[in-house]
Amino acid sequence: MTYLKAENISKSFGGVHAVLNVSIEVPENSIFALIGPNGAGKSTLLNLLSGIYQPDAGQLYFQGKNLIGLPAHRRVRLGLARTFQKIRLFKQLTLLENVRAGFHVHQNEPFWKYLALGSVGRFDAEARELLDFVGLASRAGERAGALPYGKQRMLEIARALATRPRLFMLDEPAAGLNASEVDFLLDRLTRIGRRGITVVVVEHNMDLVMNVAHRVFVMDHGEPLFEGTPREVQDNPRVIEAYLGGEFAA
Amino acid sequence: MSARFAALLAAVLVVAMLPWLLQTPYWRGILVLCAMNVLLALSLNLVLGYTGQLNLGQSAFFAIGAYVSTILVKTYGWNFWAASLAAVGAAGLLGLALAAFAVRLRGHYLAIASLGFAVITYQVLVNWEKVTEGVRGIYGILPPVGSTIGLFYLVAGIALLVYVLIDNLVRSPVGDTLRAIREDEISAASLGINGALWKAFAFGLGAAIAGLAGCFYPGFVGTLVPDAFNIIESFTMMAMVIVGGMGTMIGPVIGAIVLTFLPEVLREFGEFRLMIYGLALTLVVLFMPGGIVQAWRTLVGKPITGNR
Repeated sequence: MTYLKAENISKSFGGVHAVLNVSIEVPENSIFALIGPNGAGKSTLLNLLSGIYQPDAGQLYFQGKNLIGLPAHRRVRLGLARTFQKIRLFKQLTLLENVRAGFHVHQNEPFWKYLALGSVGRFDAEARELLDFVGLASRAGERAGALPYGKQRMLEIARALATRPRLFMLDEPAAGLNASEVDFLLDRLTRIGRRGITVVVVEHNMDLVMNVAHRVFVMDHGEPLFEGTPREVQDNPRVIEAYLGGEFAA
Repeated sequence: MSARFAALLAAVLVVAMLPWLLQTPYWRGILVLCAMNVLLALSLNLVLGYTGQLNLGQSAFFAIGAYVSTILVKTYGWNFWAASLAAVGAAGLLGLALAAFAVRLRGHYLAIASLGFAVITYQVLVNWEKVTEGVRGIYGILPPVGSTIGLFYLVAGIALLVYVLIDNLVRSPVGDTLRAIREDEISAASLGINGALWKAFAFGLGAAIAGLAGCFYPGFVGTLVPDAFNIIESFTMMAMVIVGGMGTMIGPVIGAIVLTFLPEVLREFGEFRLMIYGLALTLVVLFMPGGIVQAWRTLVGKPITGNR
């Protein structure tokens, strides 16, 4: 069953087509990878799906609901969550505070209770569980900005998971990670997938893509190039050409 | 919880004792001003410190509280408390109205827009003479309680109550939401946070609290003139928040107390008074950017881990 569907969506900036006539269908409970050379429009596509940008043309549906015109914060309530290519943590806040903020849409205590009782209805325990899931439980009280780069990526994942997404979009989660961190990320992505969360991941790290993705969608110059299983993508001459340049294609 | 309760009890005791430590009418008057300044600093800190909005229009909401309550009492014969309630509501609503435009703006642009609002409000107070009496001013305004001690207890009590409520609020999930917006609005939106809505909330609540402080000012001074709400007042409030430590609860309270008493203590230096005051402000911002609270935390070696 198609979970997330984009039909011919386009977005241009100052006359340059960042995304042109892209249609994708992400099946439920799948891990869907978006790949392509630098400047292929992958991040723009993710920004369109998450509502940071609105498309110039085309249709977007999540579980049959039209997403066009819906701002980013409203899409979160439907079950869409994301991380950013350039890490955007709340740097001055603690790890715990970062993840707690992620529970915003699940806060349902009446307002007077917050005024009268303070810390009531805070998702501290759940936030610690998520920190544990990404291996950061012991550092809950530290400032997020003081974390090493790789750990910041994992914290951003925990924070996004706090929204309890049904569809989780990650923008180059492996960028800047060392080998052991990539292995850990790979394991966590697989577990997230097993929890019944559909995953859309923009990634450059081919090992990661080939290991976790069920479907791979290749973009080049803002346009769709190819879609298939990881195996098919690896063997496709057009994909190899786009990545390595014409002379390497067989 | 018990540590908080002990701190609250200590604060109540200190407030209760202060008028007996400072017995002259002059110093008791300064105490009342100090309690008002604490309220104003708390109101601005909610907007500037917790939500990260550079609001330079806070003096306007202080003015609206003062004028609306006074005019309702003097011209329409309202009871002080009913008039105050209306004045707080008016300040809060105007705060929301300004926020409707201002939430789209950030940083310097918001600062200029809110400063513009303060300038316009000041000009309305000066020129709408039929209602405000303009620069002639309104005279013979009575305080809600007769004695200076009584007025101090009243305003300080309200300041304590407001402190406890805001302290609860910033510990609650709402505090997480506001701080998230302060840190990164796009990131906050990716977590389902409607930045415009919550910024307007903080703006409106901050405006209402500044309006509340304004209700007690005219009765204390006895007269009401627009010059009391010059835009300089906005900067004084900002100085209190920054000197104390913005984004912390106790910081702005300390800032308000220090900046209320410092000019008075410096009176013996005569003409050098304001120079020393200005120099002290500059030095604090240069060498203690996190204010007195951060300097204290560094001094006692307590690691700074976020806000709490």
